[in-house]
Amino acid sequence: MQLLFNGVALGAAYALVSLGFVLVVNATGAVNFAHGDLVMAGGYAAIVLASRLSLPLLAVLPLVGAVTFVLGVVICVVAYFPLLKRPPSTVFISTLLCGIILENVYIVAFGPQAQAAPPLIAAGAVQIGPVQVSIQLVATILVATVLVGLQYLVFFRSQLGRRLHAVSEDRDIARALGIPALTMIAATFGLGSALAGIAGAILANQFFVSPGGGVSLSLTGYIAVVIGGWGSIPGAVAGAMLIALFPVLASAVMPYTVATACLYAVLILILFVRPRGLFGERVQRRI
Amino acid sequence: MNVSNAGFRFVIAGPLAWLRRDINLPLFVLAIALTAFALMAGPYHLRLLAVIGINALLVVGFQFVFGFAGAVSLAQSCFFGVGTYVTAILGTTFGLETTVTFPLSVAAAGFLAMLIAVPIMRLDDNYFALATLALSLLVELAVTQWDSVTGGTNGLSGVPPLTIFGVAATDRFQVLLIVWTVVGAGLLLAQHLRSGLYGRMFHLMRQSAPAASALGFDVARMRFAAFVASALFGGASGALMANVVRVVSPELLGLPLMVTCLTMTVLGGPLSVAGAILGALLITYLREYFRFLESYTLIVYGSLSRGRLILAPDGIIGTLEHFRGKLPGGRSGPVPGRLSSPVADALPFKGVMLALRGISLSFGGIRALDAVSLDVSPGEIVGLIGPNGSGKTTLLNVISGLYVPDGGTVTVLDRNTAGLQPFAVARLGVARTFQHIHLVDDMTVLDNVALGYAGSAGTGALAARPQLLLLDEPAAGFNEQEQRDLAERIKLIAASGTTVLVVEHNLVFLAAVATRLVCLDRGRVIADGPATTLRANPAVIEAYLGKGS
Repeated sequence: MQLLFNGVALGAAYALVSLGFVLVVNATGAVNFAHGDLVMAGGYAAIVLASRLSLPLLAVLPLVGAVTFVLGVVICVVAYFPLLKRPPSTVFISTLLCGIILENVYIVAFGPQAQAAPPLIAAGAVQIGPVQVSIQLVATILVATVLVGLQYLVFFRSQLGRRLHAVSEDRDIARALGIPALTMIAATFGLGSALAGIAGAILANQFFVSPGGGVSLSLTGYIAVVIGGWGSIPGAVAGAMLIALFPVLASAVMPYTVATACLYAVLILILFVRPRGLFGERVQRRI
Repeated sequence: MNVSNAGFRFVIAGPLAWLRRDINLPLFVLAIALTAFALMAGPYHLRLLAVIGINALLVVGFQFVFGFAGAVSLAQSCFFGVGTYVTAILGTTFGLETTVTFPLSVAAAGFLAMLIAVPIMRLDDNYFALATLALSLLVELAVTQWDSVTGGTNGLSGVPPLTIFGVAATDRFQVLLIVWTVVGAGLLLAQHLRSGLYGRMFHLMRQSAPAASALGFDVARMRFAAFVASALFGGASGALMANVVRVVSPELLGLPLMVTCLTMTVLGGPLSVAGAILGALLITYLREYFRFLESYTLIVYGSLSRGRLILAPDGIIGTLEHFRGKLPGGRSGPVPGRLSSPVADALPFKGVMLALRGISLSFGGIRALDAVSLDVSPGEIVGLIGPNGSGKTTLLNVISGLYVPDGGTVTVLDRNTAGLQPFAVARLGVARTFQHIHLVDDMTVLDNVALGYAGSAGTGALAARPQLLLLDEPAAGFNEQEQRDLAERIKLIAASGTTVLVVEHNLVFLAAVATRLVCLDRGRVIADGPATTLRANPAVIEAYLGKGS
C-alpha cells in the first residue's frame, strides 16, 4: 500500500515531465532531448531559491516555473529556430547537444555530487485512515493534479490554447490565419520547461538532483509519450503513471535494476507489436 | 595557340579537374599528412593517432545508419562496447589473441544488431532513436550488473595487447601500424560500398522512402543492411580499442561516447569517409588539448557541433565539396558513381496490364477515390487528367502499393497486388516518377526513370525495362520545346514495348502523347475516351470550369 502510494506520487511528478515533453513534441514535431536537463534545472533552481529566500519550496514553485520557462524559451531560440526547416532528427541531435551543455554547466556551477531540495511543505507524515503517508507525497500528488488541470484548462479552454493547438496542427496555415507561430512555439517550449522544472523541484527532495540525472528523465518523458501514443496528452499522463508504477510494483518480486531492465525490454517489445505506440494509431498517413 | 592551350590544360586545368573529381583528394592528402606526422611524432602522438584511427572506424560505421539510411541510432556506442567487452573477456579469461578475438567481437556486435533490428528497423524516426537508446541502456545495465564476467563498474584490466599469430605488438609504432592497416581496410571497404548504385539508392531513400520503395528498392532491407554494417564497424572499432588501451570499463559504452561519436560525425560530415577521419582527428586532439578543461570540454563539443549543425549542415567535408562546386566546371555534392545503362527492350506482354475495379480510399472524412474502375491495355499511352485534388496522384499511389485502398482490387500484369509492398509491385515491372522528387537534383525526369530501371535490375528482380511506367506530372515546369522533347521520349519508350500511364494538367502536352484520356473529378472517373472527344465532353468542361461554362 505504501509502495503503491510512492508509485502514484512518483507517477504524478513523471506526468508533469511527460506533459511538458509532449507539448513540445506537438508544437514542433520533434523531440526535445534537453527536457530532462530542464527538469534538473528546476531542481537546482528550487535548491538555490528556497535557501536564498528561506521560504518553503511550495512558495517558490512559481518562481522555479518562471526560471525554467525562460530557460525553455532560450533553448527553443538557440536549438530549434535555426533548424526550423530541417528534419526532426537534426532537432533531436541539436537538443541532445544542448542537454550535454547544460549538464556540464551544472557540474561547473553546482559540482558533480547529488543534492536534495527541501520538501514542498514540511517533512513528516500524516495519518490517512489506516496508513501513514508522508506530507511530501500528498503535496506532490496535489501539486501535480492542480498543474495537470491548469494545463488542461489553458490548452483546451482558452484562446491562447486554441492558438497553440492551431500551430501544432499546421504551422503554415496557423501563420496564414495571423497567429504568430514562432511566438507560440517558443511559448510552448517555455510552458513545457516550466512543467519540467516544477517536476524537478518536486522530485529533488526524494530523488536528488545531479548533473547527469537529466538523461533518464528525458527518456522517461520519451517512453511515456511512446507508450501513450505519439502526441496524445492524456496518453502521456497515463504512460508516465505506468512507468512509475511498473518498477515500484515489479521491484516487490525482483531486484530494482532487473525491473528497470525489464521496462526497457518491455518498451522494445511494445514498439515491436505496436510500432505507433500502445494507444496511438492514426488513419493511413498521406505521403 | 595550340601550344599555350595544351600548356594551360597541363598546368591548370588538369590539377583543377583532379581537385574537382571527388573525395579521394582530401583523403589522399590526409593520409600523406598523417603518415608523415606518424614518422616524426613521439610515443604520445603515436598513441593518439591509433585512437584517431579507431574513432574514424567507429564514425564510418555510424555514417551508414546516420548519414546513409538517415536514421538516428543511439546504439553505436553500445556496439563499440560489445566489441571492447568481448575482446576483453576472451582475452583475459581465455587468453585468446587478437586474430581470434577480433572476428568474434565483430561478429558479436553484428549478431546483436541483427537480433535487435528485427523488431526495431521498421520504426519511424523518433521511435527508432528511442528503441536504440533502450538497447544501449539495457547493455549498459547488463555490463555494470554482471560483475562476475564484466567486472561490474570497475571493468576489466590486463587485456592482452594486439597479438597476431603469437607475436604481440609491443612498441607503439607497431600498434599504430596494425591499427591503421585494419582501419584503412575498413575505410576502403566503406568507400567501395558507398560508391555506385548503393550510394544512389541511399540518396533516394533519404529524400523519400516511399519513392525509393515505389522504384523497387526494398527500403526495409536497405535500412537493415545499413544498421548491421554500422554495428560491424562499431564492433571492430571497439575490439581494437580494447587491445590498444588494455583496460575496459562501462564508460566505453555509455552516452558520453555516443555523444562524442555523434559530434565527430556531425563535425566531419555524415556521408564521406574523409569526413569521418577529419571528425575523429579534430575531436580526438581537441579532447587531449582541452583535457584541463574537464567539464568544459563537453560544453565546447556541444557548442561546436551545434554551430556546425546550423552553419554547415553537410559537415566540413560537405561544405568543402560545396565550395569546390563553385569552381568553374565543378559540381557540388557527393559525386554518385556510374550506372550501367539498361539495354534490353521489354518483352511484349499479353494479358491484363492494369485493371482497377471499384477502388475506394478515404483519408479521414475525405473520399479521395470513389469506386474508380480503369483498364489499361498493353502498349497504350493513357493520360490521367482532372482538376487539383481529384485523386490523380492518389490513384498512382494505390497502383504503386503506397496506399492500401479501402475497397476494390488492383491487378497489375495479371497479378492481384493486394498485400504486396511497393517494392514488390515495382518488381513486377512497374516504374514510376514522383512530382518534385528527383534522385539527383540535376537529373531529368527520364534519368530518374532510368535509375528506376537500373535499381530494379540491380536488385536482380526485374527485366531491364519496366512493363508499366507511371509518370506523375512529368512536364511540370517545362517550356514548350522541353515538352515536345519529353513527348518524343515518352513515345519512344512506348514504342519499345512499355505501357505508359501519365498524370498531367497540361492538356496540350497530353493531346500530343496520349492515345486515350481518362478524367477524374472528386475521386470518380467522369470521362474516358480518345483525346479529341474528351476535350469536348461537357462533364469534363464542367469539372474544370464549373457549371454553366
